[in-house]
Amino acid sequence: MALLIQYTLIFSAVLILVALGGMFSERSGIINLGLEGIMVFGAMAGAMVMVLLPADSSKFKIITLTLLASALAGMVSSLLIAVACINFNADQTLIGTALNMLATAAATVIIKAFNTARSGGSDFSAKLDYIKGHDAFMFSVGPLQLSWFVVVAAVLLVIAIVVFYKTKFALRLRACGEHPQAADSVGINVYKMRYSGVIISGFLAGVGGIIYIAAANSTWHFDYGVAGAGFLSLAVMIFGQWKPERIAWSAILFAVFRSLSNVYMGIGFLQALPISGTVYNIMPYVISLLVLAFTSKNSRAPKAEGIPYDKGQR
Amino acid sequence: MEDYVIEMLHITKEFPGIIANDDITLQLKRGEIHALLGENGAGKSTLMSVLFGLYTPEKGVIKKDGKEVKITNPNDATDLGIGMVHQHFMLVEIFSVLDNIILGSEPSKFGFLTKAEARKKVLDLSNKYNLKVDPDAIIEDITVGMQQRVEILKMLYRDNDILIFDEPTAVLTPQEIEELMKIMKNLAAEGKSILFITHKLNEIMEVADRCSILRKGKYIGTVDVKNTTKEELSSMMVGRNVKFAVDKAEAKPAEEVLKVENVCVKSKLHSNDSVHNVSFNVRAGEIVCIAGIDGNGQTEFVGALTGLDDISSGKITLCGEDITNKSIRFKNTHGMSHIPEDRHKHGLVLNYTLQENMILQRYFEPVFSNKGLLKKAEMRKYSDKLSEEFDVRSGQGADTIVRAMSGGNQQKAIIAREMDREHKLLIAVQPTRGLDVGAIETIHKEIVKERDAGNAILLVSLELDEVMNLSDRILVMYEGEIVGEVDPKTTTLQELGLYMSGAKRNTGKEA
Amino acid sequence: MKENTSIFKKPGFQTLLASVLCAVLGIILGYIILLFMNPEHAAEGMFAILRNFFKFAGNQKKLMNAMGSIFVKSVPVILCAEAILFAYKTGLFNIGCAGQYTVGIIASLYTALALHWSWILCVLSAILAGALWGAICGFFKAYCNVNEVIAGIMLNWIALYVCNIILGNKTVMNTTKSETYPVKDASLLPAFLSEFFGKNKYMTIAVPLTIIIAIAILWVLNQTTFGYELKATGHSKDAAKYAGMNAKRNIILSLVISGAIAGMAAGLYYLTGIEHYKIASSVPGMGFSGIAVAFLGGLHPIGTIFAGLFVTYITQGGQYLNTNYYNPQVADLMIAIIIYLCGFVLFFKTIINKPKKIVTTTSSDNNAADKTADKKEV
Repeated sequence: MALLIQYTLIFSAVLILVALGGMFSERSGIINLGLEGIMVFGAMAGAMVMVLLPADSSKFKIITLTLLASALAGMVSSLLIAVACINFNADQTLIGTALNMLATAAATVIIKAFNTARSGGSDFSAKLDYIKGHDAFMFSVGPLQLSWFVVVAAVLLVIAIVVFYKTKFALRLRACGEHPQAADSVGINVYKMRYSGVIISGFLAGVGGIIYIAAANSTWHFDYGVAGAGFLSLAVMIFGQWKPERIAWSAILFAVFRSLSNVYMGIGFLQALPISGTVYNIMPYVISLLVLAFTSKNSRAPKAEGIPYDKGQR
Repeated sequence: MEDYVIEMLHITKEFPGIIANDDITLQLKRGEIHALLGENGAGKSTLMSVLFGLYTPEKGVIKKDGKEVKITNPNDATDLGIGMVHQHFMLVEIFSVLDNIILGSEPSKFGFLTKAEARKKVLDLSNKYNLKVDPDAIIEDITVGMQQRVEILKMLYRDNDILIFDEPTAVLTPQEIEELMKIMKNLAAEGKSILFITHKLNEIMEVADRCSILRKGKYIGTVDVKNTTKEELSSMMVGRNVKFAVDKAEAKPAEEVLKVENVCVKSKLHSNDSVHNVSFNVRAGEIVCIAGIDGNGQTEFVGALTGLDDISSGKITLCGEDITNKSIRFKNTHGMSHIPEDRHKHGLVLNYTLQENMILQRYFEPVFSNKGLLKKAEMRKYSDKLSEEFDVRSGQGADTIVRAMSGGNQQKAIIAREMDREHKLLIAVQPTRGLDVGAIETIHKEIVKERDAGNAILLVSLELDEVMNLSDRILVMYEGEIVGEVDPKTTTLQELGLYMSGAKRNTGKEA
Repeated sequence: MKENTSIFKKPGFQTLLASVLCAVLGIILGYIILLFMNPEHAAEGMFAILRNFFKFAGNQKKLMNAMGSIFVKSVPVILCAEAILFAYKTGLFNIGCAGQYTVGIIASLYTALALHWSWILCVLSAILAGALWGAICGFFKAYCNVNEVIAGIMLNWIALYVCNIILGNKTVMNTTKSETYPVKDASLLPAFLSEFFGKNKYMTIAVPLTIIIAIAILWVLNQTTFGYELKATGHSKDAAKYAGMNAKRNIILSLVISGAIAGMAAGLYYLTGIEHYKIASSVPGMGFSGIAVAFLGGLHPIGTIFAGLFVTYITQGGQYLNTNYYNPQVADLMIAIIIYLCGFVLFFKTIINKPKKIVTTTSSDNNAADKTADKKEV
């Protein structure tokens, strides 16, 4: 059971952060289908930092630098979406898909080159080992092994909720995703707000990426990307109706299912059921599809999302 | 020396092909309600866009409090205290009233909203000017009238003292209009200066101090409302000169083709009907015109008639057959032709070639297809034939992408298609909108020819010249109802203007 | 077709030019990446990718064999692209193609390995499975207003997990290697010109079938009333409604056909025996590559064939890199960059089109308007 809680916490942390990222982007009017790719970039940068830091680095140093690298990588890669979709009115679905492909390919190439260079030509794999980095993030409360990552995610969640409901910035951001002409008419720079939304999504998805690969594992094969966590987060975001607190609840729900698929073997009565672990993986998707079917007629998706804003068109 | 708060002097704004504003002067006194009157296309919106910084004029100056100012974008206008209630509200539907009001000028501390003081200011303003709103209500839940009050509060919150109202009553119910009039008087009494764009004479008579009239891009004059009459305003608005007459013989109406009984359409904007209890008929061999000012339910009515929109109640009969709830395809194949209001949205698939557009409703007929295969040769022949007959000109003939054709030729292509299809009734909605004189003439001739061939024609038009010249009977639509039926031979433009602006009605029905 | 206008003004030519521009830019960026990784051998590396299997120029048999492999491997990506293109013409972004491809894998491999059906039935079941998956997506779109992109993404993952369950079964999967058993001869697609392509045993009728499908799509879109309707709906929903066309029916039909093609793509690939299905943790990338190929091919059924060949050629070209200096995924990276650049095609076209700028702006305005209309239903 402790294991279940542990996994649930970790998956929740990932899903919450990435889904919040998606939310900020979509609230500004840009559909971010490239979350998966941004996560890969964030994960890669963080993992490289953990590998590169000298063995005697303090825990604090490891944690800060790793998170910083991930967030930065996420933000930089999200610019690929921002530039194409905001300045060049590119198709947001196409660009998101391209970024996902780009990320996996780039991560594989970079990590392989990184390994080759470090090993002096004996290691060509796309795998990174960062056991000491992984350990730096762990701490225990009683029988529960916890990760600083979960704490970071919780803090970011609280910040996101406060920002989303209490600040001038979020009010303007949301206006741009709903009615950019109205925002423009009161002097708000729609382009700037949309850039902010996408970059925040890059920040959060980047951090989400490192948590995904480092909180429960101490090695990662980068040719796998992040195995759909970004898309699952998208489902969490829709399930959470583009609202931070609802996203948090949906993320936990989804994370429980996801964790069950990992640990159901250890839980007596579940193991007795003739259900394959994969079924638990399917559940979140089936649920969100059905929920969407019943709620889409009055969906709360930001009204102007996916539509390029052209200042000339009034 | 008069105390003018805003002066627009000798403003000229040209667009390729037309002069939208030709040497127009508008002077707004402090604390007055100044109406700007004119037909559609008279240049009112262009003039206001110049004042709001959306367009830069070729000639002319704008003065604020006697000093010349440059307004190059809406932010400049806002800085000068100019605010505008747009015809289509600029409100974020899922935000609360308060959030909409403060958006863009939010009071905040370290980036955090400090709504308490904003709420107080909004409530104060709302009490002072009697603008009742609930600051916490969500925009999409409140009435259009209340949304408009939010727009007004947005201007007041920013301490604007020059307020532009762009056709503010178009979407309101009579009660809401009455209330708005009171609010406007209140605002003026408090020292705000108001520019009120409209073409409803009753409202001008009720609320405005002075009225400037534009016609076809030119400045006609400014009058003191208390010294004028509706008739005078109406004649200044429409003018007396009729541009071109259409040659046509006396109509010989025959059997009834279209019968419309008590048709109602629910509004998408407010709880009232946008079309209310409309009944009339059109006979073979006559042109019946629905006249009226834009936004009085014509679009919704045509939508219900053709099937593009839902009808909420009533009955429509075409050639004796009840077609009220029939599909568009059924109507298309049972005698209804439709020249739509928006040729780019509905009338054409812009990325299709001319020949593909020519068969838009007929592609499945045996003439053009065989077992699901298009007969390309027939399509081409047909397209060439129609282009020849209706003088549709295009760069590459049948293969021209319609998007690349001129507006006039696009419209002629639609008209050719709709007139050539087998039909008994032709619905022509603003068939000459945005076209040059030559094209207008051709189209008018075609419509008369169509009538003389024994078809029934329902014309919906905003152009008074067109209405007067082309129709055999005129129905005037005002706020979703037919308020009058007049004979174009005996009526005058002034009388028509009175009906259109709701100042007069002659149907036996209660208002 | 008609020679009477300047070739530069033709939309077809402009699309081609924009696609070529994307490809060239992608290759240049790829070269820059090679320079970063190992400046000394960059030119050599680029040459290896571009020269590709032509390095066997001296050995006829090997050359033809390698060329055959490119054809075989481009089959699924071309067909996926055709599937996406077909839906796109109706105004639908079928990102669910990946899932439709996945259920195609399930159907073809299960019928082949567990039921030992003949190849034709296996392919048919793959087609049906894909069509069914497309129909589900279409149903959600037409009757529940669920955006087809979102529904497609959910269905992709559902398909993946269902695939892992069904193909993870002991009758079809060699659990020690965790990959499916080889397909038996009766279920393998019949060979086609296998001798000619250096005895490449994977060279099957899948290759000519793909070309036939592409031509069929071109034909359906351009010659039939059905294609006429679908394209009209895709270009302008409002005009299609005005013309009396049935939008719901068209949405579902278009996704069913799109799904059928995607399912077929899987059948025509896995039934050659060239690859075994391995339990995967993410949706097969084929459907996503299909998006790229469709756009790179200028959304034209025939252009897509060439784009698919090009993409496969470059991807395979990665194998020819000297692994001492580079790794083969550099080629994937180049492809991903090219796809990303495809997003700028509209912009490229505007540049090529400078004098006719007004026309292009109205077109993009219109697209925006179309999209507004679409969005309302989400």
